[in-house]
Amino acid sequence: EASFGLYFPRKDYSETVYIDQPAGTPLLHIRALRDSHGEVAHFQLCQHLFIYRVGAYENHWFQIKEKTGLLYLNKSLDRGDFDILFGKNWMSLPKVTFHVYLSPQPFQGKECETPTSALVHLSIINATVPACNALMSRELCFSEMDLSFHIKENKPPGTFHQLQLPPIHYLCQNVSISYKLLAVEGLPFRYNENTTGVSVVQRLDREERERYELIAKCTVREGSKEMQVEVPFLVNVLDEDDSAPFLPNGTSTTDAVVEFNRKEGTVLATLTVCDADTTPIFPIESSRKKYTGTISTTDPWISETFRVDHIFHEIYFSPNGSQVRGTLHEYRLMLNKNISVTENRSFQLDVLVNDTEFHGPERSVMLHFNVSILPVSIQFPNMTYQFTVNRNAERFAQIGKICIENCMKFCGVNITYRLLSPNASCYAVGILQGREDKYGSLYVNDSSVLLRPECKEIQYTVVASDKQSKKHAKTQLTITLEGTIIKKEEDCPESCAINKHRAECEECGGIGVLTGKCQWRQGSGKGITTNYSTCTPSIRTCPDGICDIIESKDPAVCPQDCTNGNIIGGHERGAHGIKSGHGVCYCFPRQNCYCEKDDIKEPLCDDVCKTVI
Amino acid sequence: EKILHSLASGQDPHGWRTPVDCVRANELCAAESSCSSRYRTLRQCLAGRDRNTMLANKECQAALEVLQESPLYDCRCKRGMKKELQCLQIYWSIHLGLTEGEEFYEASPYEPVTSRLSDIFRLASIFSGMDPATNSKSNHCLDAAKACNLNDNCKRLRSVYISTCSKEISATEHCNRRKCHKALRQFFDRVPSEYTYRLLFCSCKDQACAERRRQTIVPSCSYEDKEKPNCLDLRNMCRTDHLCRSRLADFHTNCQVSFQSLTSCPGDNYQACLGSYAGIIGFDMTPNYIDSSIASITVSPWCSCRGSGNMEEECEKFLRDFTENPCLRNAIQAFGNGTDVNLSP
Repeated sequence: EASFGLYFPRKDYSETVYIDQPAGTPLLHIRALRDSHGEVAHFQLCQHLFIYRVGAYENHWFQIKEKTGLLYLNKSLDRGDFDILFGKNWMSLPKVTFHVYLSPQPFQGKECETPTSALVHLSIINATVPACNALMSRELCFSEMDLSFHIKENKPPGTFHQLQLPPIHYLCQNVSISYKLLAVEGLPFRYNENTTGVSVVQRLDREERERYELIAKCTVREGSKEMQVEVPFLVNVLDEDDSAPFLPNGTSTTDAVVEFNRKEGTVLATLTVCDADTTPIFPIESSRKKYTGTISTTDPWISETFRVDHIFHEIYFSPNGSQVRGTLHEYRLMLNKNISVTENRSFQLDVLVNDTEFHGPERSVMLHFNVSILPVSIQFPNMTYQFTVNRNAERFAQIGKICIENCMKFCGVNITYRLLSPNASCYAVGILQGREDKYGSLYVNDSSVLLRPECKEIQYTVVASDKQSKKHAKTQLTITLEGTIIKKEEDCPESCAINKHRAECEECGGIGVLTGKCQWRQGSGKGITTNYSTCTPSIRTCPDGICDIIESKDPAVCPQDCTNGNIIGGHERGAHGIKSGHGVCYCFPRQNCYCEKDDIKEPLCDDVCKTVI
Repeated sequence: EKILHSLASGQDPHGWRTPVDCVRANELCAAESSCSSRYRTLRQCLAGRDRNTMLANKECQAALEVLQESPLYDCRCKRGMKKELQCLQIYWSIHLGLTEGEEFYEASPYEPVTSRLSDIFRLASIFSGMDPATNSKSNHCLDAAKACNLNDNCKRLRSVYISTCSKEISATEHCNRRKCHKALRQFFDRVPSEYTYRLLFCSCKDQACAERRRQTIVPSCSYEDKEKPNCLDLRNMCRTDHLCRSRLADFHTNCQVSFQSLTSCPGDNYQACLGSYAGIIGFDMTPNYIDSSIASITVSPWCSCRGSGNMEEECEKFLRDFTENPCLRNAIQAFGNGTDVNLSP
């Protein structure tokens, strides 16, 4: 940053100015703290004042003493000036703002070029100064500015604030006002009664304590009356990078195994590094640049395949009772691309962590990841698949799942399942696979085949193949047809979901049924629930809240899971379909769904019936 | 005496020149060749980094002096006006350079609110028809929802935002936050405040009521997020957007704790503070009740001061303007109790 380190112990100062206060009235005493011994502070104002939301004006009224930092009225601000400054501004609180600049060299006419500045806000009151005896003791003692300061750690001591209010001291000389700093015992701060200056007397260390809470006490004596006012006086210690990174529990090594999960972005292992310094989380990119973690390798394959992700959080520790903030850095080893199933190697991967702003010798730490990449085989379990299909099953009936060994654990490996054409012409089933699905779903794709008497047992060969490695596996699949053909009910709807009552549901078939009949799911009947009553081709797959690949083939299969149309009645919608419903939910495919309580019970015996009996 | 003085000067803006809106001011300036060329010059001057060097430049200074006399210089915008965004863009094109860009509090680009809470109560009493006897038992937040449902406009815009904010997109995406925020902004911009304030600031005596109050803006979509960002980071993000920046500046202008007033609010204007609070709903800085407790009302944006580094003091100061702001708290309580500051002596 800057070549010198003089700084202001606060960002903003504020004070009140009244109309017609005489020229020469002192307003505010600004102090600066040093970065190194021997620095001398020079203060300066710019020639522009800024008015809250109106703009810039040339400054004729305020001046600062270059050597002492005392801000004073150069020229009385009269009512005419007030009207010029604020005439256009309809804000309720007239205020002017300007910068005070700080430099270790005399300014000598150059102005406003140093990077260190503080803002001064002066509230301008459209009235003359009140008499001393009209002021409350709070106003005699402290301004509205809160007494909150920041001091950089590891810097030389110095005076950073003046408790006495210069305008009050100037105006109300016959009122006795004295100050004291309470709760200061044992702390590195001193109050000087003669100057009312508060100083820090030794170098501070933020890693030991980062906040000091003192109390400023003021006593006002006017004749025999004595009044006391106490306000909080806070000092925050600002951090600089003066601590080296270290390993919690000394752990610098961990294992990273790549097996079934080979997808880009997978976090393989995490190692942590601690630092007693704070790290701001914004802007996040610059903080990451200050604390780097780089893979040290000359192998291009390693640098292409892995990357290190850096995240950090604030942590607390208590060096001596008081809580101090520090940083926990996490370095996560991640896959930078999908790894082929055939890859097989082990090596140690080193990550160099560097605290770039720390100037000591131990600014870096080496982390070690023992990486093992295991090959995985693509094979079917030793058995062959056997499924039976009822001859009354309809198109899109779900028969079962095909899955290679550990298929559900795979990630980042793209296995596709195919059926090789069967013997003869009994081609009754197909296989489908969703985009992210790790298995293949078998379903009936031609129900007329099931009715043909010559088709009894159908043999298929299933092939699972991995695109990236060209590896594949085969197994046999036998579909046995069973059951006698039952005649279809007439007047049944195409889709089970249309049936509103249990009786008609269980009498009818519909698209997707396994045995020729729809199945009824009896819900709990309590309010709007995921367990609503409905008619479905198979309770196992519909409705289960997931619109799977086979259901999405035809909207008549399971509109309960897949509908994008209107749902009428008490319900909660999911991303697709009905998440929960009230009473019975039934749907007309490609149209609306309805959820309603079916409580219109036909009276067993009405009035006419009773009279007959 | 000092308090009375500020009351008198604060709430009465009629003595000042009434500002023109910036869209109109821009048209007036464009029609005049000297103004439009100076405006272009000034915008170029302000595009540079350092304001002071800019002001030292002769040409820039001349441009500024000419513009100080033009209506562009003190133009303002209105909440929910036509072309609000365009108006704010014109406002910030001048003011981002002139007011301190890094300032903690920025001045509001909006016209001051001159109506008072009592105006709302007067309107509210027409349709409330509440029986004072059952008052102690009643759930004010429920009453507010009923009142909204009886008004077509309120009912329509409320159902729009509720359905938008509760609509699940996919298994991983809980809702569309951007659309939800937009719907909330429309609700608070287009529905009169006698309806919206009753929903947002209803007073509660039990937890169910306070929970309903907390749920008003559908916080699961509009407020909560997976992680809590740092408040200063959130503020920086808000300041990159003209609308969000303006609403936040408006909140800071109208809810900033003032020591010179009885109520801690600038000009003792509760209405202005509540309005600017409601104005930041639907932006990155969306505030809400942090829990459904009835003992203490605490509101906050979805952020924390974790990870502030050396800016922790500033971060906490920023957050305290929401969580521990006596002006805002007094204004919410005054609305709930149906009381306003009595300004006539």
